[in-house]
Amino acid sequence: MNKQEHINKLVEEALGSVDNISRAEAKPYLLTRIRARMDRATGSAWEKAGRFIGRPAVAFAGLCMIILINITVVTFNGTTANPAEATEQVVQAPADEFSYTVATIYDNENTQP
Amino acid sequence: MNQPELIEQLQQGDESAFKKLVDEWQDMVYNTALGIVQNADDADDITQEVFIQAYQSISSFKGESKISTWLYRITVSKSLDHEKRKKRKKRFGFVQSLFGSREEEQLHPAEFDHPGVQLEKKERAGELFGALKQIPDKQRIAFTLHKLEGQSYQEIAEIMNISLYAVESLMSRAKTNLRKVLSGYYNNNDKIPEQ
Repeated sequence: MNKQEHINKLVEEALGSVDNISRAEAKPYLLTRIRARMDRATGSAWEKAGRFIGRPAVAFAGLCMIILINITVVTFNGTTANPAEATEQVVQAPADEFSYTVATIYDNENTQP
Repeated sequence: MNQPELIEQLQQGDESAFKKLVDEWQDMVYNTALGIVQNADDADDITQEVFIQAYQSISSFKGESKISTWLYRITVSKSLDHEKRKKRKKRFGFVQSLFGSREEEQLHPAEFDHPGVQLEKKERAGELFGALKQIPDKQRIAFTLHKLEGQSYQEIAEIMNISLYAVESLMSRAKTNLRKVLSGYYNNNDKIPEQ
């Protein structure tokens, strides 16, 4: 028998290998598992939302969005704000808020407008 | 209980009728799904989905076809959807691996071992199931229904909602394509003696 004949024989054997095959049987307690699944499917909206958020794809997308927002904020602030102005703002803002500039005698004596 | 009575009871939400439906057709649904997806856990999952859908959509079932035909249709549809979902998941396997999921490794078992195959035919059957994955879906479905479920061409035509001639054509093309795939496999197999 040459190689091609041998291959043809194997092909026919393979095609005939599922003749008279027995039917595979479903795993036991199928009905119980179907019932449990149907009960799970009718869970509360909060449970469904929790399961949705807990999915890796959703969690990953959320994480990417947070990182993207952070990068955008840092980049935007970094390009528009002058470092000198920013420092001045940081110092000036609380000073304006709480008026902790040095009081003079003039200020003490002239409380009336 | 005959079919119209069973359908009527199912439509009324009778629990015992649903139990009867599952008991009578669970192996048929499981075996069909197993032949298509070639994975026992996936087939079990699909079997559950099929009966849940049957339960939910029984009200729209007119009884024009047999219950088995209706269940076959749902099973084939669910199995193909399941395969599409798995292929999509495989594409995003890298992202999933970041979260420690190793599911993608189970997507395509190297060799499928159908429990109903006779012991001496296991090796050839494994190669045939491997080749089945490489032919078009419709041909694969027709071949699976005929060979694994023993359905006649007429019954397959009803299940797939096509003509008898189309089923004959699908089966013929399926066999031709399987021969090509298997020949290629055996040609590249070092175990075949040259002579």
